[in-house]
Amino acid sequence: MVRTPIAAALAILAVPAAAQDAPPDLSGYWGPTFTAGEPDEDMLAHVPANTVLVEDTGVAEFPRGDYGGLVLTEEALAQAAEWDPEDEMALDRVCLPPSIVYAMQGPFPFEIVQTPTLIVFRYEYFDQTRLVFMGEEGAPHQAPEGAPHNKMGYSTGYWDGDELVITTDHIAPSTITNNGLNHSEEVVMVERYRIDPDSGRLEATQWFTDPVMLENNGVRWVEWEPRPGQHIYPYECDPTFALEYGAAE
Amino acid sequence: MRNSTKLAQATVGMALLAIPAVAHHSFAVYFDSEDRVTVEGTVTAFRFTNPHGTLVLDVDGTEWRVETNAPVVLQRRGWTRTSLRPGDHVTISGWRARDGRNYMRLMEARDANGQMIGTARFGQDDG
Repeated sequence: MVRTPIAAALAILAVPAAAQDAPPDLSGYWGPTFTAGEPDEDMLAHVPANTVLVEDTGVAEFPRGDYGGLVLTEEALAQAAEWDPEDEMALDRVCLPPSIVYAMQGPFPFEIVQTPTLIVFRYEYFDQTRLVFMGEEGAPHQAPEGAPHNKMGYSTGYWDGDELVITTDHIAPSTITNNGLNHSEEVVMVERYRIDPDSGRLEATQWFTDPVMLENNGVRWVEWEPRPGQHIYPYECDPTFALEYGAAE
Repeated sequence: MRNSTKLAQATVGMALLAIPAVAHHSFAVYFDSEDRVTVEGTVTAFRFTNPHGTLVLDVDGTEWRVETNAPVVLQRRGWTRTSLRPGDHVTISGWRARDGRNYMRLMEARDANGQMIGTARFGQDDG
């Protein structure tokens, strides 16, 4: 076949155009970095007004009474005041998994299994699994009627160019900062993920709003490193850990 | 401890109910990051299960309990369920419980020869 220069140029252009239509492949094992960089301003620009950057990702934790700039409602303040950390160290409490609102920022790895219609997150932390039902941008986020609230919630997602955007609701009440501040079942979370082209890290903003518990909104910045060939380990939480703490004098 | 960055301003509406349900306990709430302790003693028990492993030590007749990072994390740092055995003589460093119990979060464990058990020291709460 004889190609004219124009036809050849079009053929060359056609290949990257087709490749660009495919979303990035986030599949694989992602480990905590412990050295997260500065949040990307373009990703933060998607965050709505009245949002504070909550800087407790990875190893950082807030002491009691510090909520990283989140402004608590009267109801949340009352709960936080009544919270007794020793209550957590009981047989029936130590293996309760946190919700995805707290779990996704912790120093534990996860694996992603990606298909065009469903993305599965398998978290090592408390052996939790999360399903994200993929659709088109602009499609309504609507949980099926009767969908239960649970610790992972109900998630829908779409690709915004190279960024994965996930909206989650139906999240069962649980902790936000692991120090007495809890979210209600009205919490809504929106995450935005991308692979940084320079570092290869997976980066995310995790925005959340909860009109019952928070006067403002929060967003976290989280990063993970790819570790090809690794897999998450079973967590298999053992509640008898609580007995050890109880036995200490 | 850390700064909070205000990104913008506005307000939100109202809604209903909320019953808390929490989980894995917090380092910052339970342990004093300024109160480092080191004890030397004999292992009487070692359990290696999540959410935290625990080590029981006889320190000159006083019992100490030591909580480790999550074993899923320890496994990637060279620990196994037989890294410590009853009868082993060890030196343990960590952060003491705020409530004053003889209880700490492990930072580092060394065997009778002074060799570190595992491949790394631990942060205040890296799992």
